[in-house]
Amino acid sequence: MIEDLTFIAQISIKSSVAVLLATVGGIITERSGVLNLGIEGMMLVGALAGFAAGHFTQSPVVAVAAGTMAGGALSLVHAFFTIALRSNQVLSGLALTILGTGLANFLGRPLIGQTGVRIRQLPIPYLSDIPVIGEVFFNQSPFAYAAYLLVPLAWFVLFRTRTGLVLRAVGEDARSADVAGVNVELTRTLSVFVGGLFAGLAGTYLSLSYTPGWKETMTGGQGWIAIAMIIFCTWNPLLAFFGALLFGGLTALQFFFQATSMDLIPSYVLKMLPYLLTIGVLVLVSASSRHRKSASPADLGVPFYREL
Amino acid sequence: MSDPVISLRGLSKRFGPVWANREVDLDLFPGRVHALLGENGAGKSTLMSILAGRYGADKGTLMMHGQEVTFSSPAKALDHGIGMVYQRFMLIESMSVADNLALTVGKKYGRRGVDYEIRQTAEQYGLAVDPEKRIFELSMGERQRVEIIKLLMLDAEVLIFDEPTSVLTPPEVDALFVIIDRLRGEGKTIVLITHKLEEVLKLADDISIMRKGRLIISEPIDARQMSRQQLARLMVGRDVVLRVDKKEVALGETVLALDGFSGDSPSGGPSFNEVTFEIRKGEIFSIIGVAGNGQTGLVSAIAGLSRAGAGTITFDGTSYTAREWAMASAAEIAYVPEDRYQSGSIGSMSIAENFGLTRLQAYRSGLAGLLLDREKMAADGRRAIGEHNIKVESSEASAGSLSGGNLQKVILARELTRKAKLFIAEQPTQGLDISATEDIWQALLECREKAGVLLVTGDLKEVLSLSDRIGVIFNGRILEIIDAHDSDRVDRVGLLMAGVRS
Repeated sequence: MIEDLTFIAQISIKSSVAVLLATVGGIITERSGVLNLGIEGMMLVGALAGFAAGHFTQSPVVAVAAGTMAGGALSLVHAFFTIALRSNQVLSGLALTILGTGLANFLGRPLIGQTGVRIRQLPIPYLSDIPVIGEVFFNQSPFAYAAYLLVPLAWFVLFRTRTGLVLRAVGEDARSADVAGVNVELTRTLSVFVGGLFAGLAGTYLSLSYTPGWKETMTGGQGWIAIAMIIFCTWNPLLAFFGALLFGGLTALQFFFQATSMDLIPSYVLKMLPYLLTIGVLVLVSASSRHRKSASPADLGVPFYREL
Repeated sequence: MSDPVISLRGLSKRFGPVWANREVDLDLFPGRVHALLGENGAGKSTLMSILAGRYGADKGTLMMHGQEVTFSSPAKALDHGIGMVYQRFMLIESMSVADNLALTVGKKYGRRGVDYEIRQTAEQYGLAVDPEKRIFELSMGERQRVEIIKLLMLDAEVLIFDEPTSVLTPPEVDALFVIIDRLRGEGKTIVLITHKLEEVLKLADDISIMRKGRLIISEPIDARQMSRQQLARLMVGRDVVLRVDKKEVALGETVLALDGFSGDSPSGGPSFNEVTFEIRKGEIFSIIGVAGNGQTGLVSAIAGLSRAGAGTITFDGTSYTAREWAMASAAEIAYVPEDRYQSGSIGSMSIAENFGLTRLQAYRSGLAGLLLDREKMAADGRRAIGEHNIKVESSEASAGSLSGGNLQKVILARELTRKAKLFIAEQPTQGLDISATEDIWQALLECREKAGVLLVTGDLKEVLSLSDRIGVIFNGRILEIIDAHDSDRVDRVGLLMAGVRS
């Protein structure tokens, strides 16, 4: 019994890493006032680039770098349209997802079924020996460890440093921030880029570690889950940890039911459940919190013009 | 006088086809308060926004201590010691005072240093404010103080105040004047953009007057030697008659009668109780009171925007209960709401479209009335622009681009064309300059020849100039209805507004 639970918990963490990274990146982007609905596209491009780089170089470092940078590069397209050209952020973001998905599926066709690098679980000495906890948290892939560091770091930077203050100011009231001497365009561009890097890293995790290999549309909508999670987590990276764990937990349970051959429920319904329940639970949780609306960056989605 | 800190020479700025500033020359001196006076839309704010780096000039030079400078952004202007306290404060509402200040001056002092500096600066200039409070928790006066502290922490030499008193309560205005006086004593250069003559006479050392983008008095004049009338004349460009000429109008039938009308304000504001009065065609009936005594809820219930709790209302001979009245649709009431930006107009739509908004029935055409006759709408819009002396290039300009006075005239013109039996005007001249106020007063007086007018205002002068009868509201009740011919009405109204019954 304990073994089963430990195993489910370990899979939960494993299944939540991609959503967590993508959500935190999205939070950084949205805190600066730019809505990016292209997360799904950036994740896919990241997943493909990471896998392809690993396939051709066999170097995990190059693979991770390539996947991460690919997400960042695609995000700059969004930055160009929404910040430099001030076009509609919703449209540009959707276009990014459509472009990213199409591009990755098209370019990735020759790579289906190929083998690339695989980044395996790496137990941390001593820590992984702690009963239960060690197995759950410290017998994971390096991506999970990176997430353990990046999530609190993102929170710290956003809420405890001058950089974070500037970033949030731009998202709350770009005009006032401009008058205060902040370079609004640059701040937003960098935030979008960092968000892209996170999404790229999230995608890379999927193709190198979580389900190694390249499959068409392998993100399976996790980018959209991340977008919902950004809102329900009130743009706070620390809460994103719990949100992602919820999704990961439900995904793990679905695996467990499948593995224990409970055939009563069709597997397609089971695969659907994590998405459905995550959104359902998040809606219920956030409906009871009154601060959600005020937590939204006030200038989210509003293009910035200096001359009015 | 010492050398000027700032000299503007031949400064011009245009927005599309409109010249906001034309060939402006101006000198500003240290240790003096320079009042920049002019009507709405005269170009005062634009001129100072150029100085503060928010807009670039199209022509002309800007010199500081004799050196030519150009500012590409507000931050650059601040680096040179020029800062502006905007009418709309440039503060991030969800953040604390300390965070807001750290955003601007954090690089200079470091986060810890900021807290210390806030206290230092606040103490030196008498600007009390709590650094830990968030901006949305502060009063308008406190927010303004934060803006001033911000500029002082950046060692601003030149402080520009854009209509600083428009959002303040009277005690806050007094406090601000003390602060400005202190800044002047410290040798700062102060610019005061305003259209309030009293403030100028009280505070300014030098005066410049702008009209239609040009500086009509380009040499500063000594404030102490000017009278209110002289200033007003210079500002508007003609003699200002602050008394209106009011024709006698024969009273007609009763248009509106309230009996025991009671209810709450829609947004949880103060309620109104047992309000009883009637308005006849041919008269202006005013409700005057200090803001927050139930008049907002009362007007909204009369206009049918919210439902009153009890009482009856008789409109044009038909009686309704409070409930029936809220359901009664399309009663012919013209209404000029208090908030001309939020309730009165749609900023992103053109003047012509705004003009048609409350009278869409009149523009039905084609396909069994499903289409809209835009030609006719635009023609009516153009006619209103001409008739009401609205300063705008075309009826296709967006309503949001108009100055407050011109927008109010558009709304007024629209409501007048409805030819309603009852005309409600709520704070119709709030924040407007003399010329626009006069135009609106004249229009209301003419309106009463064809309708009953309900004027709701807090402006005593307005009430005394226009009304035939005056109802004073206090704590949700009409304390007394006073005839305008009453000789001691001035004192009585003032006392009643304060709740004192003789």
